[in-house]
Amino acid sequence: MLTLLNREMLKRGSWCGETHLQKAAFFLQDLLRVDTGFDFILYRHGPFSFDLRDELASMQADSLLELEIKREGYGPTYVPTQFSEVFLQRFPKTTARYMKQIKFIAEELSDKGVAELERLATAFFIVDREGIHQIGHRSQRLVELKPHISAHEALAASEQVDRLIEKAVPFRLKEESFQPSE
Amino acid sequence: MTKIFHEIRDPIHVFIHLDWYEKKVLDSRPFQRLRNITQLALTYLLYPGATHKRFEHSLGVMELAGRVFEVVTKNANLTDEVRELLPDLGNPDALHYWNRVLRMAALCHDIGHLPFSHAAEDELLPKGWNHERLSRTLIESEEMCAIWKDMVPPLDPQHIVKLALGARKATDLEFSKWERILSEIIVGDAFGVDRIDYLLRDSHHTGVAYGKFDHYRLIDELRILPSVESADEAALGINGGGIYSAEALALARYFMFSQVYYHPIRLIYDHHLKDFLTAWLSRDTLLMEGSFPIDVEGHLRTTDDEVNAAMRLAASDPKYSGHIPASCIMKHSHFKVLYERDPQDVKVNSEPGAAIAIAAECEFGKDAVRYSKPKVKNVATDFPVRGRDGRILPAISASETLSKLQPTAMEYVFIDPKVKTKAKQWLEKNRKSILATAREQEDEENEAQPKSGDAHSIEPRNAEKG
Repeated sequence: MLTLLNREMLKRGSWCGETHLQKAAFFLQDLLRVDTGFDFILYRHGPFSFDLRDELASMQADSLLELEIKREGYGPTYVPTQFSEVFLQRFPKTTARYMKQIKFIAEELSDKGVAELERLATAFFIVDREGIHQIGHRSQRLVELKPHISAHEALAASEQVDRLIEKAVPFRLKEESFQPSE
Repeated sequence: MTKIFHEIRDPIHVFIHLDWYEKKVLDSRPFQRLRNITQLALTYLLYPGATHKRFEHSLGVMELAGRVFEVVTKNANLTDEVRELLPDLGNPDALHYWNRVLRMAALCHDIGHLPFSHAAEDELLPKGWNHERLSRTLIESEEMCAIWKDMVPPLDPQHIVKLALGARKATDLEFSKWERILSEIIVGDAFGVDRIDYLLRDSHHTGVAYGKFDHYRLIDELRILPSVESADEAALGINGGGIYSAEALALARYFMFSQVYYHPIRLIYDHHLKDFLTAWLSRDTLLMEGSFPIDVEGHLRTTDDEVNAAMRLAASDPKYSGHIPASCIMKHSHFKVLYERDPQDVKVNSEPGAAIAIAAECEFGKDAVRYSKPKVKNVATDFPVRGRDGRILPAISASETLSKLQPTAMEYVFIDPKVKTKAKQWLEKNRKSILATAREQEDEENEAQPKSGDAHSIEPRNAEKG
């Protein structure tokens, strides 16, 4: 799934560093209910999974991914290897099963940088894991967790997350409804 | 007159310094238990010098944590940007408090370890438990809380838990920026002093010199820096001048894993030990109930000594539980390597070792085959480096060496020596077809059983993740 996510995000112009993959996998799991098996906690730059980091290392060791430095001074990009295509062909059923969800996430997130992804993913974490649905309270909580985010940015991120939740409904795997903002 | 400061001689750090309260922790039952918990399990069967214990490692971690704290909080080593991010840095009382919390957390970070520091916690502890949770239970126990409460100012046990376990293991606790930095000093992937001490100490005791590196220079160059991704967050990083010692640390880790921690003979002894422990814990007794005890008293009375005595007894007589694995260990008649991962095989099957192990189990029986795929260790390259021009760079961009280091996967299939020759011939004849057949089944299995691999103890890669 990570191989596919990586490929689809790169196709759509994502920088595809670790943070991009972390946040995309978080939305895939918590927004679309695709069971990736990763545990996400709120960490330095928002939702983060140490298991996912381990899996990326494991995929590098298995020659499925490699790191590429695109520009000096910037974090590296994860790039699928030639072998990863061969690997994906071995799993046509798995690939087909989640393609719709992966494409949705890639479409929605590939144009975003790490700062925006951090805001959005943290705003979504607050709704999803902390159950804070009221948009004002949610924005307040976002600023409390990430004091460098302005009140204006927090409100914008909360509104954007609501739109994303609405858009995600047809792609969600399990029927679990999110309460819209009050 | 009561002695306030104590020194303990140590082969790695020369002297370890303790204050009166740290000495009280050292004298406590949870800490003294570590005198009987080997650091590297049965590695001494392979490297005879590796008989050192968690006790001296924990002291070493405390000593290093104190040294790192001193360097990274020194006024001359801080920038205004970092002071603004972490206001505690400007408060001498707060710094004094957190230095004490950090050293205590370092001292206690391993007190929950099982006998032989055994990693197979899923099988040997009740569901949801691991050694970190046991460490936490002990840190929060009445016995230890009496020490924290007696201190001036008293220490909050939850602060000690956070720094000792880190955000990865204390998932229910919310960490401040400052607490994240401090926990990184102990358990961080890049410069955690737990790692620095175990590499130096294990290298010293095994005699494998690859684990040594210039930790004096490394520690001297550590700094709290703005994180690479956002200047609004801080991370433990390094000055450009220390990048060579950071490279040396990464290389030392790579060599120690390939030469010591993931050595195939060590891995198979770990299997035999786990088999013995599983049988021993499942024997007819009300004390154990199939797993190691998780209550404070039960944990404190279970050490390597009890396991060694039971293992010796079991090896002597087939009527005892765990006789076969105990004999493998005591008589050094461990299973032999049948298959070692070949990168070419990975192109045919994502987990060739798992495929071969499953086929070998069908051919020779489950008891004759063991499979190991130790966890791949990532190369920590996500720390910030401050260049000579003051720019903050990601480590991977600042170091050619780090950018070229790749995580390595290892996989082994072991076979009972009684059928080794037959198994070698069988594998030579069937290797290609096993890998090809298993490949065809991968997607089917994934479709049918998305989460759990298969019914065997051998769990192939979960294609859903990868």
